[in-house]
Amino acid sequence: MRICRGTVAGPVLAALASLAVMMTAAGSARAESEDCATPPELTEADVQLPRFAERLKARQPVTIVAIGGASTIGQAAGSPDLSYPHQLEQNLAKDFPASPVSVVNKGVPRQSAKQMLERFPTDVFAEDPVLVVWEVGITDAVRGTDVDDFAQTLQNGVEGLKNRAIDIILVDMQFSRSSTTVINFEGYLKALHRVGDLADVYVFPRFEMMHYWSEQNVFNFDDVAAEDRAKLAARVYDCLGQKLAQMIRRAVP
Amino acid sequence: MPRDLLGLPRTIVMRAVPGPSPRALPRDLRLDFFRGGALICIFIDHIPGNYLNYFTLSAIGFSDAAEVFIFISGFTAALVYGRALATRGALIATVLVLRRAWQLYVAHIFLFVIFIAEVSYTVRTFNNPMYNEEMGVGDFLEHPHIAVVQAMVLQFQPTFLDILPLYIVLLLIFPVVLLCLRWQPMAVLAPSALVYLAVQVFGLDMPAYPPGSVWTFNPLAWQFLFVFGAVLGHGETQSPGRARLIGLVYWPALAIAAVALVIRLSWAFHGVWDAVPAFFLRQLWPVNKSNLSPIRLVSFFALVVLTARWVAPQARFLRAKAAWPVVLCGRHSLEIFCLSILLSALGHFLMSEINAGFGMQVAVNVVGVATMCLTAGVLDWYRAMQQMPAAPTARALSEGSGGEE
Repeated sequence: MRICRGTVAGPVLAALASLAVMMTAAGSARAESEDCATPPELTEADVQLPRFAERLKARQPVTIVAIGGASTIGQAAGSPDLSYPHQLEQNLAKDFPASPVSVVNKGVPRQSAKQMLERFPTDVFAEDPVLVVWEVGITDAVRGTDVDDFAQTLQNGVEGLKNRAIDIILVDMQFSRSSTTVINFEGYLKALHRVGDLADVYVFPRFEMMHYWSEQNVFNFDDVAAEDRAKLAARVYDCLGQKLAQMIRRAVP
Repeated sequence: MPRDLLGLPRTIVMRAVPGPSPRALPRDLRLDFFRGGALICIFIDHIPGNYLNYFTLSAIGFSDAAEVFIFISGFTAALVYGRALATRGALIATVLVLRRAWQLYVAHIFLFVIFIAEVSYTVRTFNNPMYNEEMGVGDFLEHPHIAVVQAMVLQFQPTFLDILPLYIVLLLIFPVVLLCLRWQPMAVLAPSALVYLAVQVFGLDMPAYPPGSVWTFNPLAWQFLFVFGAVLGHGETQSPGRARLIGLVYWPALAIAAVALVIRLSWAFHGVWDAVPAFFLRQLWPVNKSNLSPIRLVSFFALVVLTARWVAPQARFLRAKAAWPVVLCGRHSLEIFCLSILLSALGHFLMSEINAGFGMQVAVNVVGVATMCLTAGVLDWYRAMQQMPAAPTARALSEGSGGEE
């Protein structure tokens, strides 16, 4: 837990405050594949998606836009059908059969937060979503964008979505030991989680989850034979889709 | 031409020891000491997950080592080249400044080559499906012919390769700044402040490569700090008038520094323990660094005033044995800066590849800072050795240059 020290205490306290919500959520949680298990503190957060929940309660159709980079489009797995947004759609469709749920995938590889923000009018607002899942930060960390600029861009994006009455989930970076050797994620992770804290937006802790899977040898991200790479990516995306769906379910009473 | 450890040409005109110019005051040790301190902070801050990050300059105010580095560089540039201008004329002073800019450019290219080596090696041996796509690192390996040219014209600025381009650009405009300074300081300060204000109001920035990115340190904003340092470094630096001015702004500066300290500490504690309130976090954060947000600037100026008031140019602790390595680091700032970047990359590598435990933290920091200080010591010894024969011509040449800016 070297990175993101500050971000664990927040969800823990928030979760304590909403114990009742949690217990009902735990009761309704379905069995998930063994592989995807994470320590409880990573899924304890209190997720608030009021407009999304309202739509589902009214049994209306729901559009979610997943905007992000290569890992949103599912590049490593070879097909958007294996990406985490697609897995999310499948999971939510099972959970909420009364409302047609569609997840629109707007992942474009190698985009900084700023470039994604510039796509908001055409790729996000045009789809009229009720929830946006914004996966962001990898390219900024790789390119070394100024951290404060990165945070400001995120804040502008979050504010723009809030002004349009769109619910938001932020998804932080991917983890692998070899990438943390060459890329400095720490500042970007802190900034992303702080933006979430300040705006009361849930940040899906993908980095810590993948860190956990890597430490526990559930997945080995760093030494993969060429022919197994797509398979591994697909499994990880599947897990992330399941976990994200689990967190979103929590927002629907 | 004699060359130092980094292969940078160095001639006798760039000496640290003041020439026998009658006006020359003893070298202001504060400049070397605090620039050396800034370099050590840069080393520490560039290692992710380093606990010492909590104790660097950025922990006690809104500014960080970058401000110190640029401000002191402006100050010393005016001091050194101002003296050259006074004793040897505009042409020689200009040539000396441009020569220094050239040294920085060579250092920049040197760091860039190391960057290429690191990235190429990493990407070729990278075996991670989740990151292969994202590791393009500014598309460097896909369009090396473009990226290399863009780096040479200072447009491609990967991590760590962003502050030297700023410094180079600042030195390129410096001859004009220097000439105007001699004529009328306000003729420099006023336009400089106006450009800075324009950046704050209109959000002007400098486009960079790849398209869509901007200069990490916006030169249009940061020039103000450099020029301000130059205005202060020019002329009588220890006049009674200046002491009065410092006395006048002392209490406001103390108040600002105290408030900044409390706010920053509250943010740091909030990050560790949620129950501690983070004062004004919602209103103030993020504090823009690219454009040198006024909050950073004011916070930094407050620290400058306090330093000027509390620390004398020849204060005893600056001459103490313990402070000497830091002074030396600041005196050989270019070489030590390049070294600090390499060392922090190495430290980052060790901490992520092996472990980031307490022992490793201590080892990385101690070895890193010691390496910087020892290298500075060797460089200083080497420079002194060059000066030993002190032929009359060399003596004459060194006149008027108070040291490396």
